[in-house]
Amino acid sequence: MSIARFSPFELLLLKSRSQVDTATLLLLAWVLVHRQHVSEGQRRRRLAQVTAQFRHGHELGPVMGIAHSQDLQAIQLAAEVVRKECSKERSLSVIHQAITVATDDGEISLANHYILRFLADLLNVTPSTLSTLFQELTGKPLLPPEDPSRDAYWQQHDPEYHARQAQEAQAAERQAKEAQAKAEQRQQAKTDKQQQKQQKQQEKQRQQEQARNAKARAQRDKEQSHREKAQQEKARREQAQQERASRERWQQEQARQEEARRQQRQRSSSPPPPDRKTRALAVLGLTPGASRTDVRQAYRRMAQLHHPDRFYSESDHQVALASARFQRIKSAYDYLMQTY
Amino acid sequence: MRDLYQRLALSPSANEPEINSAVARCPNSALRQDAKAVLAIAERREAYDTLHDTVSDIGRLRARLGLTHGAHWQGDVANDFSLPPDNAISRHDELVDRVSLAVSLYNRWRRWRGPWLLISTFAAGAGIGLALGFALSLGLSLG
Repeated sequence: MSIARFSPFELLLLKSRSQVDTATLLLLAWVLVHRQHVSEGQRRRRLAQVTAQFRHGHELGPVMGIAHSQDLQAIQLAAEVVRKECSKERSLSVIHQAITVATDDGEISLANHYILRFLADLLNVTPSTLSTLFQELTGKPLLPPEDPSRDAYWQQHDPEYHARQAQEAQAAERQAKEAQAKAEQRQQAKTDKQQQKQQKQQEKQRQQEQARNAKARAQRDKEQSHREKAQQEKARREQAQQERASRERWQQEQARQEEARRQQRQRSSSPPPPDRKTRALAVLGLTPGASRTDVRQAYRRMAQLHHPDRFYSESDHQVALASARFQRIKSAYDYLMQTY
Repeated sequence: MRDLYQRLALSPSANEPEINSAVARCPNSALRQDAKAVLAIAERREAYDTLHDTVSDIGRLRARLGLTHGAHWQGDVANDFSLPPDNAISRHDELVDRVSLAVSLYNRWRRWRGPWLLISTFAAGAGIGLALGFALSLGLSLG
């Protein structure tokens, strides 16, 4: 047998006037440690308040210390003591205290959901008793704990995350833009001087051009009067042409429609077979464009559903139907596996 | 509450590249999405890890106390955090054993008049030492 030293909690338990009280104290402290948004002083006061009638006869400080260090062996020892020595009424009162400590006026934390349920299992409290007790004490039903290992939990509890990310990205972009703008301003300052020189040259050029333009306008006015007469004649000719073209188009369309009608008649008498691949896919419940893995998965699922062995206990007719279905699925799958 | 680390075959202390590669390798798309939403974001992973620690502690406690099939331990949590039953002996029995050993040692000590025994042993040791030293010094002076 090992001669290890007595751990702090064991010493506390040995010195205590009532071992059950000390053990219960540690379990309640454990629950309190997992309560959120509470200061250390508040925790101690609350523990002292709840355990006012306990007869342990030692300080609360070391118990809180042990609970904070998450000493699993100490908690196990406390649980064993509580389980061994609690009567039925006492265990109910322990659960009662644990619930009040875990929830007073606040929400119950996720960790405490599991701890409370652990205590209930430890003290042989059934789920229905626990939920009625919880309902009476807090006025709210005991819901199953939420699951932070799922995306849905975080979408509910942290919905601004993506917005925040987007904002940060925008801020980063803005900074980048500002940096660019500054760089551009510097470049512009350099180029401005060059531009001013160029502008002076351009102004001279413009004055020369204006003088040329004035001469050109006078010539254009004469030419326009000739052109208008020519355009009116053109318009008359075009109208005549358009009428002829529209008549031809109408005739062509009628011919096309007749052809289409003929083709439709042919189709309805002997519809051209739709692609065999599409049919095979439809047998497997897939749409065209499904990948090879999709086909394989769909085949497995369908084969499990329609395998004749599943209908073994039912009538022969059912088995025959199932095997026909299974054959169809299998041949479709084989065809698809060959072609893909 | 599921154990994402266990489901992705990771250790809870895995670093980011390991997590990313495990997530990329994961064949279950729903699990992949959850793992991306929880483990890839530092704050969420921290919150998840604290709860993960507590729940795995509870799983260990339940295994040691024989409560792995309790009425309140069902579903995903029980599937992922239950451990095989532990053969460690009850802490309370161990405490009782240790106390009884300490008591028997104390009793023996009292029965043999411990302090006197200690003093006489010390005196005998001192006497032997003195005698040896005397003999040695005699030998040196003669030689």
